Amino acid sequence: MVNATKGVFISCDIPMAQYIVNMNASLPASDKFIIHILDSTHMFVQPHVEQMIRSQIAKFREDNTYVKPS
Amino acid sequence: MGHGAEKGRPFKKFKAAAKFEDSKKGFADDDDDAYGGDDAYDDDEGKTKDFSKLELKPDHTNRPLWACDNGRIFLETFSPLYKQAYDFLIAIAEPVCRPESMHEYNLTPHSLYAAVSVGLETETIIAVLNKLSKTKLPKEMIRFIHDSTANYGKVKLVLKKNRYYVESPFPEVLKTLLRDDAISRARITSEGTHGDGFTISKALGEIEGTHDELLNQAEVAAVAEEKEAHAFEIDPSQVENVKQRCLPNALNYPMLEEYDFRNDTVNPDLEMELKPQAQPRPYQEKSLSKMFGNGRARSGIIVLPCGAGKSLVGVSAASRIKKSCLCLATNAVSVDQWAFQFKLWSTIRDEQICRFTSDSKERFRGNAGVVVTTYNMVAFGGKRSEESEKIIEEIRNREWGLLLMDEVHVVPAHMFRKVISITKSHCKLGLTATLVREDERITDLNFLIGPKLYEANWLDLVKGGFIANVQCAEVWCPMTKEFFAEYLKKENSKKRQALYVMNPNKFRACEFLINYHERARGDKIIVFADNLFALTEYAMKLRKPMIYGATSHVERTKILQAFKTSKDVNTVFLSKVGDNSIDIPEANVIIQISSHAGSRRQEAQRLGRILRAKGKLQDRMAGGKEEYNAFFYSLVSTDTQEMYYSTKRQQFLIDQGYSFKVITSLPPSDEGSRLHYHHLDDQLALLGKVLNAGDDAVGLEQLEDDADELALKSARRSQGSMSAMSGAKGMVYMEYSTGRNKGQQIKSKPKDPAKRHHLFRKRFGST
Repeated sequence: MVNATKGVFISCDIPMAQYIVNMNASLPASDKFIIHILDSTHMFVQPHVEQMIRSQIAKFREDNTYVKPS
Repeated sequence: MGHGAEKGRPFKKFKAAAKFEDSKKGFADDDDDAYGGDDAYDDDEGKTKDFSKLELKPDHTNRPLWACDNGRIFLETFSPLYKQAYDFLIAIAEPVCRPESMHEYNLTPHSLYAAVSVGLETETIIAVLNKLSKTKLPKEMIRFIHDSTANYGKVKLVLKKNRYYVESPFPEVLKTLLRDDAISRARITSEGTHGDGFTISKALGEIEGTHDELLNQAEVAAVAEEKEAHAFEIDPSQVENVKQRCLPNALNYPMLEEYDFRNDTVNPDLEMELKPQAQPRPYQEKSLSKMFGNGRARSGIIVLPCGAGKSLVGVSAASRIKKSCLCLATNAVSVDQWAFQFKLWSTIRDEQICRFTSDSKERFRGNAGVVVTTYNMVAFGGKRSEESEKIIEEIRNREWGLLLMDEVHVVPAHMFRKVISITKSHCKLGLTATLVREDERITDLNFLIGPKLYEANWLDLVKGGFIANVQCAEVWCPMTKEFFAEYLKKENSKKRQALYVMNPNKFRACEFLINYHERARGDKIIVFADNLFALTEYAMKLRKPMIYGATSHVERTKILQAFKTSKDVNTVFLSKVGDNSIDIPEANVIIQISSHAGSRRQEAQRLGRILRAKGKLQDRMAGGKEEYNAFFYSLVSTDTQEMYYSTKRQQFLIDQGYSFKVITSLPPSDEGSRLHYHHLDDQLALLGKVLNAGDDAVGLEQLEDDADELALKSARRSQGSMSAMSGAKGMVYMEYSTGRNKGQQIKSKPKDPAKRHHLFRKRFGST
């Protein structure tokens, strides 16, 4: 039987996909959110984690950005 | 053109204000008095400021600069008055950022101290600033200049017959100073002093040259008059403390240190002149004129970019003073270079110059001469050999006319203190290219040596063709899937650096750039890698010679000689030993694959390796055949810490006006298969290698003598141990191969003997 699952389709570049996979792997089994990894730049995840992923990535990018102190 | 005249014409104010409102809409105007009461200029950083209240002068288009009440000054470099305004501003203010068309300067107590010490007077500073400013000079700025300069120049530190005196024409000032604990403790009371304890001597009024090329006034020569100078003696070991107490942030009587070398009859003269072919360039002349402005020699620091001819400035200063000179350099190689420069530019005789390093201890003959040595040799605290003990004793007992200090920015403060307390000199000149440190110890130099006398503008030197025109580029290399997955894992946190440096995309970009510059342009390339593991991997894979800490002197010379002369050796891999000490004027391309975290100085020093001007002058000038003749690539793995460091590192060069071009598509896709690591298998093999290497092997190379901001603790070294100690743990690994392959030119890891042998045959069999 076909099961329909609601989710969010993510399309990103290769490193960011790895970042999300790593994020998923670091969570306990019950919180894992990746439903399916389609290929190296696309994946399908549970809908409620979208904001979390966005903020995590924003933070990650922030950490790697140097802002000149004024 | 005082502003008093303008005050009486209110319509102008109205007009100016209206103009501002037009151009600066959107500025908040409800913070009327938010900045009114600021005494110090640095407590309101980071806020957007509203300057719409500044009054524009009617002929503001003819004036080159904006003066704001927070001490910031903005200079338009396209103004016809730029040159004059620049010379003036650099004397009174600290450059903050100097891009192509707009410079930013900051007035600080220290910069004003420097201004006064080169002979500018308070009123002159205000008058000239007002003349150049588009706006009426803010009251706050005028007050600030008055406050900061009021006490300058009242106290002098004088060295007479090997004893230090604090001298001032005003006995009250000396009394104020003596009320300070630190100073009164440093005082040496001797017999024969006058009633209030000060020795009084008659001094000839000095003839001050005024700094008014700008105002086009005739030089005003003060009439020589007799005036009394009061003085008290201080303990030589306390000189530094006393100087520090007198700085603007303490007692605010900054001391001037001047040396009247022409009238010094106590110390014997040294016969040396500049050779006629030594023609100082305009900016070198200018920096010297700041030093010898009033016929005396002032202590201070001169900042010139690498490759702009700092040594000629040093040699010229020495040959002007014509007294014994002690020249301090950072290592033995630069000692040799300095000795060579002295012989090249001046008429000094061979026996008058001697080098004092752990390898060559040349005894000092005659009663005046030049001694070239390293900071380490002088500051060394342990037991010395009898021979060097004698030499150091001689250095200690002598009264030096000039203490010439190269690369002042690298020397840690405690070493300076030691050197300065050991050597007694009338005048100190510090030379450097990059007056930045990550630990902000630069301000110490203000009282250890003296104020900054001159700082050249890099872009002006580029335009003048004195240094190479460098295209800076940051090459973004995306991490591959597998490498990034490992990079993110927590257990690999120690290997992160190795992972982003060994990123196959970075390797391919590096290989592509090497191929392109070697084949298409015939350039000479230096590749810098701080990470020893990466250095070895890259050099092995690309079959290029490499030099790192443990490479012996003989081998270094051989490789560099081949790089300079041979057509087959166009690329050399250097670890951070190459940052300062290795002189390779031939190179014009730098590829940086890994670096020392966020060190701005390292970035600038590395760029300095290719700054020496090349090619014909007319080609280099604006509109010449080649717009850029040198290239600086920094390879960065995106989405890693390296992005953070890379941006931070670039700040110094950006402040000098350089811009970094970002390149994202290297190597081009059609080149793909011709480069290494095209196949996933190769990449995975490389990944395995990185992961299997020990944490020590993939770390940074530790150099004992690098005296960098993070390695300060190891800056002192015992004699002869340098080669044995450098390279740290990575070197233990290397040593196995050095032993087994004596006579081989490249020391590298004995991973694959067959390949190494092939390498040996291929590269060195033909030469």
